[in-house]
Amino acid sequence: MFVSDVEKAASMNLMPSRSDLKAEAAPAAKPTIAMIEIDHVSQVFQTSSRQDHLALSDISLTVDDGAFVSILGPSGCGKSTLLYIVGGFVAPTRGTARMKGNPITGPGPDRGPVFQEFALFPWKSVLGNVMYGPRQQGVKAAEAEAQSRALIEMVGLKGFEHFYPKELSGGMKQRVALARTLAYHPAVLLMDEPFGALDAHTRTRLQNDLLNIWERDRKTVLFVTHSVEEAVFLSDKVVMMSRSPGRIRQIIDIDLPRPRRRTELLLDPRYQKYVVDIERMFDDAGDDELQP
Amino acid sequence: MRSRVLFARLAPLLACVGLLAVWQVAALTLNNDSFPTALDSIRAIPSILGDKEALINILASLRRMAIGFGTAVLVSIPLGLLMGRSRSVASFFNPLLMVIYPVPKAALMPIIMLWLGVGDLSKTLVIFLGVSLPVIYHSFEGAKAVEEKMLWSGAAMGLSAVERLVRIVLPAALPEILTGCRTGLVLALITMITSEMIARQSGAGNILFNALDMGQYDTVFAMIIIIGGMGIFLDAAFERMRERLVRWSEPQFDIPLSFS
Repeated sequence: MFVSDVEKAASMNLMPSRSDLKAEAAPAAKPTIAMIEIDHVSQVFQTSSRQDHLALSDISLTVDDGAFVSILGPSGCGKSTLLYIVGGFVAPTRGTARMKGNPITGPGPDRGPVFQEFALFPWKSVLGNVMYGPRQQGVKAAEAEAQSRALIEMVGLKGFEHFYPKELSGGMKQRVALARTLAYHPAVLLMDEPFGALDAHTRTRLQNDLLNIWERDRKTVLFVTHSVEEAVFLSDKVVMMSRSPGRIRQIIDIDLPRPRRRTELLLDPRYQKYVVDIERMFDDAGDDELQP
Repeated sequence: MRSRVLFARLAPLLACVGLLAVWQVAALTLNNDSFPTALDSIRAIPSILGDKEALINILASLRRMAIGFGTAVLVSIPLGLLMGRSRSVASFFNPLLMVIYPVPKAALMPIIMLWLGVGDLSKTLVIFLGVSLPVIYHSFEGAKAVEEKMLWSGAAMGLSAVERLVRIVLPAALPEILTGCRTGLVLALITMITSEMIARQSGAGNILFNALDMGQYDTVFAMIIIIGGMGIFLDAAFERMRERLVRWSEPQFDIPLSFS
């Protein structure tokens, strides 16, 4: 058991990326710790016509502590499924996912999800939603409230503490969802196309705010998106996936300085090159995206 | 704008007065002994409510109804929620419920009377059966519709399966559950009266059908008004409570179907 784990750990980085090579070349740098290891994970679904559909095929991926990693791909490539496996919401058909070396067997407060559908508790106010996690973890009411109020202010919703979710716009709901997840201090944020349901303007503002928040405490983030610009703007590393079956096509390090400011970045030729390169790579593979 | 609001407030009252007026005119035109006028029927109400015996009967009815309704709700909500969240529980209970659903509960009354007698137990059981099915059905539908991601969010916060059922599925399904309870409340009143129609021993239904046997038609219609009034009052009281409990849920401009 232990021996095989060590072996697996040794062969973990099947797809070495540039930052890994750099880390090997410069041992003086702070050693990175693997926060999440996805180890030969495959996922088979049964379709409505009782046929097996291979949604994920032999995925292996390591996410370092404090890294912002985006999973980018067309719809149906299994990127959300991969996130759900890390969240423990879905059990993989084959392979294992590990969190700080421990196999993931179910959901837990060390991995906090933020969904495209917000999934707020509609019977709770904004404050009630944000306080829910800390209260569940046994934090005293007064303390949980103080922390939650601070978080609500941080996501820009001061004054809306006693509003119900139905009274908020989509962007505001997603801010609440983010605060609710941050409130119970997960080690990893699992974001499932969190800005996918928002209009372009709101999406941009939330991306900026997310980066500001993230650059303060550098939590590990696994971020699923189908927007190339979003992935490049936010991430340290972009995992490109292809579909039918869902595989990792390539992992690209985004070597852009932080803190990133959107207006500066849009003019930065390096940013533009990343976006164009990634889009070209998807275009080149256009044929397999037309498969059912 | 203000006159419109005033009209909306008065509309239920106007509808009642209108109904009574049509009744009055129809009864006067037909001039039939078995169809007393609205005013005659209303005049008979105080004598019923002033009679100690009649009051005891009505209160006995309401007590059976409360017990039948209360136990039905307490059993049906957990069962419906479990069915909504577990496929195996649903497929076990579904055929059973589908058999019972279309059977008029009053039709079971003679058999139940054979087993349990003509007393409170039989009547309460019939009320229980009448209330259970809509409450189970709506709890089931409500639980089934709960967003998976909401449950996942709860699971990530560390809620166990039982905690998720009680603290997420129950509140999330509450609007739907209360819709079922409201239907159940009306059905409780209906089955209460029909059970007393079949097992004539005591109760509001008993007063009604005794008066019918004796040809006291003003009392018959007075009882119908009293029963209708009870229905309106219970429904309005329930609506008040429901509105408080689910103020957070979507519909903001609900047509006030009750008099609350």
